Formats: sequence, C-alpha cells, structure tokens
Amino acid sequence: MHKKAMVIGAGVAGIQAALDLADMGVETYLVEVGPAIGGRMSQLDKTFPTNDCAMCILSPKLVEAGSHPCINIVTLADVLDLQGKPPHMRVTLRKRPRYVDESKCTGCGLCMAKCPTKIPDPYNKGLSTTKAIRIPFPQAVPALPVMDAAHCTYHLRGKCGLCKKVCPTGAIDFEQKEQIVEVEVGSVILACGTKEFDARLKGEYGYGIFPNVMTSIEFERILSASGPTGGHIKRPSDQAEPKKIAILQCVGSRDASAGNEHCSAVCCMQAAKDAIIAREHVLGLQATIFYMDIRAYGKGFDRFVDRARDEHATRFVCGRIASVESDPRTNDLNIQYITRDGKVLNERFDLLVLSVGLQPSESSKDVARRLGAKLDASGFVAVESTAPVQTSREGLFVCGSVSGPKDIPESVMEASGAASAAASVLGDCPAREVSVEYPREKDLRGEPPRVGVFVCRCGINIAATVDVPGVVEYASHLPRVRHAQEMMFSCAQDSQKTIRAAIETHKLNRVVVAACTPRTHEPLFQKTLQKAGLNPYMFEFANIREHCSWVHQKQPEQATTKAKDLVRNAVTRVTLAEPLYRKSLGVNKNALVIGGGLAGMTAAMDLANQGLQTYLLEKTGQLGGNLRHVKSTLDGEATAGKLAELVAKVGSHPKIQVHLSAKIRQIDGYIGNFKTTLESPAVEISHGVVIVAAGGEEYKPSEYLYGQDDRVVTQRQLEEMLHAADTSAVAKLRTVAMIQCVGSRDSEHGYCSRVCCSEAIKNAIRLKQLSPRTNVYVLYRDMRTYGLKERYYRQAREAGVMFVRFENDAKPAVQRSGGDLSLRVQDDILGATLEMKPDLLVLSTGIVANADNKGLSQLLKVPLEGDGFFLEAHVKLRPVDFATDGVFVCGLSHYPKDISETIAQARAAAGRAATVLSKETIEAEGKVACIRAERCSGCGACVAVCAYRAIELDAELRVAVVNEALCKGCGTCAATCRSCAIDLGGFRNEQMLSALGAL
Amino acid sequence: MNEKPTSKIVVEDLDSSFRDEVASVPGGENITKCFACGTCAAGCPVTNVDEEYNCRKIIRQVLLGLRDDVLKSPVIWLCALCYRCTARCPQGVNFTDVMRALRFLAIREGAAPPDMLASNDQIERLAQLIRRDLIKGTTAGRKEVIEELKAKIAKA
Repeated sequence: MHKKAMVIGAGVAGIQAALDLADMGVETYLVEVGPAIGGRMSQLDKTFPTNDCAMCILSPKLVEAGSHPCINIVTLADVLDLQGKPPHMRVTLRKRPRYVDESKCTGCGLCMAKCPTKIPDPYNKGLSTTKAIRIPFPQAVPALPVMDAAHCTYHLRGKCGLCKKVCPTGAIDFEQKEQIVEVEVGSVILACGTKEFDARLKGEYGYGIFPNVMTSIEFERILSASGPTGGHIKRPSDQAEPKKIAILQCVGSRDASAGNEHCSAVCCMQAAKDAIIAREHVLGLQATIFYMDIRAYGKGFDRFVDRARDEHATRFVCGRIASVESDPRTNDLNIQYITRDGKVLNERFDLLVLSVGLQPSESSKDVARRLGAKLDASGFVAVESTAPVQTSREGLFVCGSVSGPKDIPESVMEASGAASAAASVLGDCPAREVSVEYPREKDLRGEPPRVGVFVCRCGINIAATVDVPGVVEYASHLPRVRHAQEMMFSCAQDSQKTIRAAIETHKLNRVVVAACTPRTHEPLFQKTLQKAGLNPYMFEFANIREHCSWVHQKQPEQATTKAKDLVRNAVTRVTLAEPLYRKSLGVNKNALVIGGGLAGMTAAMDLANQGLQTYLLEKTGQLGGNLRHVKSTLDGEATAGKLAELVAKVGSHPKIQVHLSAKIRQIDGYIGNFKTTLESPAVEISHGVVIVAAGGEEYKPSEYLYGQDDRVVTQRQLEEMLHAADTSAVAKLRTVAMIQCVGSRDSEHGYCSRVCCSEAIKNAIRLKQLSPRTNVYVLYRDMRTYGLKERYYRQAREAGVMFVRFENDAKPAVQRSGGDLSLRVQDDILGATLEMKPDLLVLSTGIVANADNKGLSQLLKVPLEGDGFFLEAHVKLRPVDFATDGVFVCGLSHYPKDISETIAQARAAAGRAATVLSKETIEAEGKVACIRAERCSGCGACVAVCAYRAIELDAELRVAVVNEALCKGCGTCAATCRSCAIDLGGFRNEQMLSALGAL
Repeated sequence: MNEKPTSKIVVEDLDSSFRDEVASVPGGENITKCFACGTCAAGCPVTNVDEEYNCRKIIRQVLLGLRDDVLKSPVIWLCALCYRCTARCPQGVNFTDVMRALRFLAIREGAAPPDMLASNDQIERLAQLIRRDLIKGTTAGRKEVIEELKAKIAKA
C-alpha cells in the first residue's frame, strides 16, 4: 500500500491538512458530513485583521482540493468506526445519498432552477430561500446539487420529478441508498470543527422573539455580497438601513450558566471587523460593542481594534448586558447597561447582533467517541499542551477548533502541523506517484491570435457597479477577440469547464479573464489553460473588481469605462503573449533549521523523523531557548523533564546535526538548492529548505522601579522563586501585586504579547497554593485568557486572586516611600484609589523581537514587520510560509505565543517544508529575466540592482547571466539596463509599449 | 474614569478573611467566581432607581475585605430578592443568595439596627400595595397621587 491518510471534516483546517498531505505524496481522503467543502469560513464576509474577502482567499483552496490528484473528496459522509494502528488503520464510513449521480452531473444547475419547492437556505442561515435540490453555494466544491429528501415533493408524495425530467445527463436518481464504505489508511486527522451557540438559549436577548436581533454569523451573511440581501445591510423587521447597531459579546461564551465556560477566541475580532465593514456599507452608521475584555491577542489585532475605534467611530463599552427590550411599535431595541463606575444608562438601537460563541457539536463529540479520542470537560477533543495535534489515540491527530476554539491562522497552522504528524507515522510506505496529466501543448507557431474574454460578475461584487454585459459587448468587438462572455463566478469549478469548452469550440489560443486579482487567482486560470492544451502564459488578467467596482463604487459609469479600458489593455497584451516555460529544478533533501529553542527542536525532530537530514543551528552554547526559563505550563505540567527529553532526542537523532554557538556568514541559493556558510564553526551546508525558528526575547523593563529595587521582579523571576527548592520566602509574602502589559500594548510596542495574562494567572495560582494567606492583586487592562485558558482565570479567582482593571491612561503609580514600595491604582468599580505596600511587585513583561532578526532577514531576503517579527506570506492562510519559496517561520520569531502554539507552528513549518522536500523536482516561475547576450556590454549595473542576487557576470564572456531559479521577475534589471539587453518574460518592451498605447 | 477619586482604600487595612467568611455562609459559596462583568447591576430593578445599590460594587467590597462598609451599610437591605441577577449571572454567583448571607452576617454581628429590621417587612408590603393600587387604578386621582408621592420622596 502506498501512503494514505484520511482527514475528517473539510473546513479550512481539514482542507489545509489534506492539501499538505497530498503535496507530500500522501493519497488523502477528505471526508465531509455536508454536501460541499469549505466549512464556516465559506460563510464569512471578510476576515480580520486584513479585511480580505473570505471567499476570495478560500475558493482557490477549494478548487485546489477539488482538483488535486492525491485528494479524494467524500461528501455527505459520517464516520462510524476506526480500527487498527498506524500505518494500518481501517475507517468505516456511511455515505448518505445525494440523489444525484456524481459521475453524470455537470453542475449545470437546471434542476435547481426548475425545482418548485422552496426551502430555507442553510448557507444563508435561513435568511433567504433555496430549492429542495440545490447547489450549496456558487463556489461549492464539488459543484454538484444535493437533494433534500425531507422537503422534496417527489420523496414526500411520489409526484413531481421535474428535476429528473429536465436533467440533460440523467443524473437524478431518486433510488440512491446510503452505502457503507471501508477505507484503508495509514493515519487519520480529526478536523470536524465546532458549532455556533444557539442564541435562543439566552432568552433574555430576545433572539427568535424580536425580529431585529440576529447572530454574528447571520450578520456576516447580511454583509456578504453573496448573502440574502446582496450585501446591503437591512434590518429584518422593515428592511430599513440601520444607523445604530449594538454588538453583544460573549453570547454563550465565558458563560457557565449556558454550559460554556470557555472563551470562543474569535468573537472580539469578528465584532471589530463587522463594525468596520458595516460602517463601510452604511454612511454614518455607528456600531457599539458591549464587551467584558477585548481579546485582541494575535498579530496586528490590537492595531485593528484601534482602527475600529479611532478611524471607524466604533464605540467599545465595557459591560455585559442583562436583557434586551423591543419596542412593539417600532421594533427598535432598548438596551440598559451599567458603566464601570456605576451609572445606569439606557440606549436605543436599530439592530442588535449577538456574538455567538463556538462550542463542540453533538456530532463532533460523537465522531470523537467512535474514533476513541478522549474529550475534555468542555467536550473538545483533549490534547496535552506539549502535544497539541495528538489525540489520546495513536495514529489519530487533530487540528482546528474541534480541540478548542481558534481563529483561521491558528487552525491553518495546526492543520499543517497535524499533516506533518500524520505523515510521520506512515512508515516506509512509498509516496503516491503524482503526475498531473496535461494534454500536449498546442503548437501555436504561425497561428493568428484568437482571444477569448471572460468577464466575471463576482456575484454582485463587480456586477452591482460595473455594467458587465456592456463590458462583454465592448470586448467582443475588440480586434482579434473571437469570443466574449460573462460569468457569475469565474473562479467556480464549473466556470473552468466553461472556459475550457469555449477554448475548444472557438479555437481560442489566448485568454483574458476580467475579474479580481492575479495574486490569488492567476494560477487557477493558468491551470485551466494548461488543461485545454494552451501554454499557461497565454493568459492575461484584468482586475475590474479591486480597480473598478470596489474603488469606484459610487461612480458606476466611470467604473464601467475603466473596466473597458483595462480589458482593452489586457487584450492588447495577450495578443503579443508568447509561450513561456518553467524551469525544472532538482531538490536537495536536507533541511536547515535556525534556532535551537522549542520551535527549532520540534521542527527538526519532525523532519528527521521523516528521514530527512536536518541541520540545527543554535547561536548560544546550549539548546532549549526561552523554554529553559519556563518551569511549568498553565495546566501545571512540569516542563524541565520534557525539555531535557527533547534535547536528548535531538542530540542523539542520527538524522540531526546540531551546531552550537553557530554564526551564519552567508545564505545563498533558492528553494531546493540553498548553500549556507557558517562563520563558526567553519562549515558549509547544502540544503533545500530553511526554517526560521530564531525565537524572541523577554522585554527588559525600565518602568516601575525595575532594576532599582530588589522587590520589583519579572514573572520569569517569580516563576524561578516559585519552583525553587526552598520556597519558605514565598510563604512570608503578605501582599504581592502583578502589573500586566509591561512592554506590551504601549506606544513603543503596539501589540499584545499574548502569553503574559496566562503567565500571571499560572504564577498567581501557584503562589496561592504555596501560601494561601498571601494577598495577590493582578492589575490588568483586559484579561486575555482566550479559548480554553479561561478556566484558569476562574480557578485563580476562586483561589482568591483579586483582579483590578486599569485604563492605559491611568496606569498604576509605583514609588518608594520610607523603606516600602508603595503602589496606587484607581479601582473603577469602587470609584476609589487602592493603596498597597507590596512585598513583591511582579511585572508581566512582554515578548520583543530578537535584535538580530534584522540581520537574519537580510541574509534570507525575507521581510520583517514593524515590530521586528518576521512577516509571513499571508496572515490568514499562509501563516508559516514566507513569500520567498522554501523558507518557513515558526515560534517566537513570528509572534509571541505559548508552548502549545509554538509546537503546533513548528510542526506546521516542518510539514510545509516536507511538501517541498518530498518532491524530486520543483518548477520555477516562467516570467523571468532573459539576457540578449549580443546586446549586453557586461557593465554589471543589473548585478548591482538585483535584490535576489539572481544575476552574475560571466567572467570570460563579459555578459550577464540570469539564474532563473532565483529570479522573481521583478523587472528591476530590465528597467536598469542601458543597452535594452534584458527582457522580462511576459513584459517585453513591445508588450508594455503596445499595452500603454492601447490606453 | 476622569472623575477624581473620591476615597482612598489602604489594602493592608482590609479584612481579607471577610471573603472566606461570606463564602462559608450557605448561599455565599460562589462569590469568588465573580469576574465583575456587571450583568447583575445592569438588570437590577433597585439599581435602576438608586445607583448607590450596585451588586457588582458590593461583591467587590466583600472580595477586597471592606467588612464594615458592607455589613453596616443600609444598601444591603434594599435588595428586592427578585433573583434577576441570579438568573442572568454568567458565572453562577447567585447574588441574591449572597445577599441573604450578608444580611445573616449583619444580623449576627448586630450591624443591622433592630428597628429597621422590624419595619422592613412592612415597607415591602406597603410598597407592593401602593404599586398594585396605582396600576389597577383603584386609587382616585391616580396622576395627582403619583405627583404627591414624588414630591414627598424628593423632600425625604
């Protein structure tokens, strides 16, 4: 048997895990309980903190999963049983009937158009209707309809059958029965997600009773262009545009009485995002967010919340709401709340959005039980903090929110981590040979250009502003255009079929798609061309969404004119397009990991366990990094033993070579072929990938008398005291104060260090255990015990720890008076100043980026963000990749994170690296610089300007030579060359000049 | 937050055993679960007419150890025992029962004036009677009576 695995659940986590496994050559079954893949992300409008359109960044992944030769998508399937041990496991599935023959259906949608029975549309949360036979959503993969037997007239009364009559391929099959299927796999990943809290259970908020109360997911659908109102915000009672909306946080989260003690981890940011987007939709709209703690603990999150507040007039009110009243005449909502200082206020709102929490669904709990994975007290799949993707059952791994609420990048990270883990237990089974069969490329020499133009409506994203039929009509009369048509969603799977068919029918040899951005969608259309036998570079993109409909929303006529201009421009360019070819490069199968802390060691172990030779560089004289200063995890597990075990394993692994006190002089090369020279020890390493795991540093405080008084210490120092052999000094402490956000969320460090709240709680609990009589005060701004950490916040309160909230502009004042430390802080609830004389003042210091990140980023030619951490390729969907191929990031280099998150991300980086190293060859970009040797004077100007060091001078011939693997096609050399000796593929001077001429 | 603090509390002078004492009285067990969200106060019908009665503030006083400020204050006798705070509390603090525990301690320690205790029941009943009569309209000259009562309350 070759390598096989199964991923259960096809949300964004499951899809990512399946794609990574498949890219490692593992044949993967992607099993989904519903009719299409995509999960909750497919229902979101935009994503924080970049406000990318969720569907726009997800749909390329859907299409990739749908067309990957190593992925088998199994929809409408329940998992019944799992037997065996890795790599010999057997899964039993029940496949429910779709009543549509998947092999015959073309996804034309005729059945859906003719079906007379309307049902509430689950994709739009019942806010609109669909048909009893429906394609779940326009970009659905597989793009097949599903019949709802519970509502179908034929199933209920034995009459109708209209769909069967109209189906052109005879794909409707009323007689389909459920099937039991057994599948042999080597390992299994559980990724079946969560469900939203049922807001009806919090009757006091009136959901289901008052018409203008909706859930946050319903609101996402209202905001979405593909939603029930076409992206226009209307309130349900009278379809009026709301001007004043309230968003209530923690509905069904942090609520023991509702059965959910945990924090749902995503809703604070979702609320800030929805407030911003809503205001972009409705001029002058004001959103008010009622919250307990704003949990903006991720990369860029705090700045996003600041933007919502400062630039989008979002009001944040710290307070939880007791109940909501609706005016029976106007259906307006009245909210009574109390300010922190005790003023009771009443306010009227047009619309109320409930930020519903995430919780384990009954079905996911059921699947976990059937598969033998233990659940925690909250019903999430139980994992240990030092093994975040491993369930209690061998060979069964886990990722995404089924093991605890998490946002998209966390889920994607865990998915790649789980994929790496699942691949590492497949033993010596061979990889599945992947050869994508494209038809032979047509020889176009001597053929006149025949251009096809496809203009995308993007639902209403483009069509609501740009006159799409007008653009199509215009394009059809352009020179050399032989075919022009519009498409609802050009990125949908059936649209690819349509484009291929048009290429065939009209003998097209060049294609223009006028839609969105080539950044996300160009590869998709290039593949479509390849499948139709065309060179992928006979393609041009005209971005009429970002460049027309979005920026000129209020000027539809000008937007349409501009769209026509851009299409004309693209047609002119594609007319001069020539076939380009991607160079195939060999892959060196060694890996280099920079940093010997927890992240680096974890990544190295994963790679080495997959049989890959790994070099681990550590700048200090010993392995362990920051973990050497951590004594226990939040759940009380001692870390020293685990660390020693890991260091020993790394040290003795035959496939890992460790270089201590390592200093890098130079890193040359490119994906698959790197060469790194060390200054000390003097060695040269050849490798195919690089993983950056260079760590972070504890902020060294200058505030609050740190360094001037021995009683002022950091959490790290307190942790040492609490785990010392003799803790008798701790028992003598009468008052201990902790101050949060020291070196975080301030003007110098505009980000949250994410771990300090949990760190303070961990140490406070331990302190109370050692010395119950010590009074512990934690002075905080927002308690950020996100996700499952919330239970430790409660545990600390129950242990008697006092929490005092302060505002950033009223920080605690610390001074020395007499021999004592004196601390003053304003307590907003009591309206009084608390004064204390702590025996110990503990500063919860943040995490700052390593000072030497800058040097490393220059050696690797990868970017840093403003705070000095490394900047990943995409904050949402590529959280461990760099834009530079073959280089990956994990751990504190990327952003502050805890032990469990570090391990998950390190395994993810190893998994992503393995997708490169598992290949024999990789393809470079086709659009690269090309030197016309006869014109080159060998002046070397291009060598000097190339940021990627892709050009060298041939010493003998005195001409420049381009390394096509390193060239990124930026064109700087072509622009610099005084002899016009450099052409950039796809951007030759003739092409550029004629394109400019066309404008 | 911009107001000048009205008072100063010196932490070392507080009675940190008060919290444990309240928690040991039946009904007071869950007080340490409170995370000060304010749901109890936001929905309280008493707070609605008198902001000095604030469930969140009372819990905080107990947790910090402001024993006398709590037990000797008349505000702990304002609670109408409607259990709205208990029904809405996300942490299961059961504030109405905490209030019963506080009243128990106040009585036990003699912190509650006996004459007030005696009259409280009567006041409760009287308030309900007035409410009933005004709503049902059995009181002649309903508007005038409301105005008269308002004036008297304002004077007192």
